[in-house]
Amino acid sequence: MPPAFEKEIELIEKSIEDFEEGKRGNVAVISDPFYGESDLMKRAGEIIGSSGLKVDARSLIHDFEVLEKASEKIVMVDEAHRLYRRKIGGFEAINRFLSFIPSSDGLFITTWNSYSWKYLDEVLGLGRHFPQKIRLSKMGAGQIQEMLLSGYEEGELTFVEEVPVDAEELKILSRSSYQKTLMGRSIEIPYPVVDIRSIRSRRTKSEKKSSEEIFFDKLARISDGNPGVAEYLWNEALDYPEVRNALKDPPSIDLDYDESFAIGIVLSMGSIQVRELSDVLEPLDLSAEKIAGLLEERGLVFSEGDVIAIRSEALKSVVEHLRRLRLVW
Amino acid sequence: MAENLTEVFSNLSTSTPSGVASGVSANITSSIRSDIPALGIDSSIVMNALLVLALAYIATRIVVFLLTWLSERVYEHRITVKMAIPLAKFAIYGFAMYHILGTILQLSTAQLVAFSGLAGAAIGFGLKDLVAEVVGGFVIVLDKPYQVGDKVRIDDHYGEVRDIGLRATRLVSPDDSLISVSNQKVLNQTLANANAGSQEMMVVIDLFINSKSDIARAMQILREAAVTSRYVYISDKRPVTILLKDYPFYRRLRAKAYVYDLRREFEFESDVTKRAWEAFREEGIEPPKAGVVEMEEGSGQS
Repeated sequence: MPPAFEKEIELIEKSIEDFEEGKRGNVAVISDPFYGESDLMKRAGEIIGSSGLKVDARSLIHDFEVLEKASEKIVMVDEAHRLYRRKIGGFEAINRFLSFIPSSDGLFITTWNSYSWKYLDEVLGLGRHFPQKIRLSKMGAGQIQEMLLSGYEEGELTFVEEVPVDAEELKILSRSSYQKTLMGRSIEIPYPVVDIRSIRSRRTKSEKKSSEEIFFDKLARISDGNPGVAEYLWNEALDYPEVRNALKDPPSIDLDYDESFAIGIVLSMGSIQVRELSDVLEPLDLSAEKIAGLLEERGLVFSEGDVIAIRSEALKSVVEHLRRLRLVW
Repeated sequence: MAENLTEVFSNLSTSTPSGVASGVSANITSSIRSDIPALGIDSSIVMNALLVLALAYIATRIVVFLLTWLSERVYEHRITVKMAIPLAKFAIYGFAMYHILGTILQLSTAQLVAFSGLAGAAIGFGLKDLVAEVVGGFVIVLDKPYQVGDKVRIDDHYGEVRDIGLRATRLVSPDDSLISVSNQKVLNQTLANANAGSQEMMVVIDLFINSKSDIARAMQILREAAVTSRYVYISDKRPVTILLKDYPFYRRLRAKAYVYDLRREFEFESDVTKRAWEAFREEGIEPPKAGVVEMEEGSGQS
């Protein structure tokens, strides 16, 4: 159930039309992880057809000739952020790519992780190479609802409130907790916080929301408007034909600075091989294996073979944590 | 007044010349006293005033604790929150003084004038330094040459501003010493503020290399060491700059980059230096050679 990307597709089509008319404006599709940018590229590929070449950025690191020898006029580079590593000597491939762009007369359509993009824009002035920037924006509750219910008939699903509606609506204070590790023990200190969203969304009884609306409002809030995260949480909640509203806010994160830096690297790539993570962390005298194990234990990443990736349900709290530490800008 | 005059005459008739003088002055003083209504200060009023001061002290401690705790929780806005600490302290103590003078002592205009006169004399004789320090504190809070959380250099002392008190500013030096600098002194000194209210701060890192080394590569390595550091902060207004300066026997590479949090200043410097030198060694970029003067054989013997 990927998002429709109607506006984004229109912008890509416009760039292709302009290019065919002799006006080149390279495209950067920028998004957080799980926004479905690969689906967008797939659809763009269908539009371009055989006149385009699709390349995975990872392969360019080892075989740049693919690009140099390409006869196609439109080149799509998926996950272009994989062309750099945050270490000394880690910018060779991306510098080569950025130097190649002006020398080529083709149109480049690229996708970028938003956190890598912000970093590289400050370090290398990436924005100057890609005048057409398409940022995949957060989805509202209505959009998420439309996306997730597109495959169902009206009334086919029953939304079951596991938290009473009134209790949910009248909630002014919500519970948060401060986690601290003391002498090897994780201590959680709960404290109340004012639930501004809940207060804002309070309505009179006549305007009372349905269970379905409440579910999607909460889903949009917890997923932070990220369609991939929303879809994951939807699948967790779906017990066909019932949808159980047992959505929980992601837990707060307690990581030290080095662990936070490491998870920032994972976030800026979406997923990363342990060997690649080690390339970045080894010069800092940090063990990638050890930190990856710890992050997995905390439920922030999962591993598949030698690849570790951010857990979609932990994305929001990871981003908030890293923003607080100013590790992502 | 007639009684007073009678008293004066009786004193004149019975006293020695020095006794005359003291008698006159005592009478004049008692005459002035009679014009000003008595303050009526008893032990309960003193106790109330002391209680208000104690409460103000406790309130200040609580507010400072809460604001400090909050500032560390909202890490990215730490310095903004800490700006409120000295303002809150001055406000609480100001209110306490107002309450003591206005409500507890209930001073009339005449009493206030008399009190001001006494206070002026006290300040002039013994408390002028203390008052100058308090006034200096007010000026610092209003003029904001620095704020709590800034990194400053005052009179050869360098450190993070921990507190702007009524009397003195407290700095924590890089070696964790608590330094108190009088607020009055701060105003008379040249002051260098490294971050001026921002959380990020420029750090200047110098590396010296052999003149024969590949300079372009060395500059690139130093730049990459700075931009890849886990402590760096880069934005349009906070760029990383690499500079080169030629000296007769070596070259100086200077990286000007911003650390994301001024508390990490030295970790940032150390991280960039360590990784840059590791890369320099791999690329054959060497440090300056010590100047060795080759002596002719036997020239050193007398």
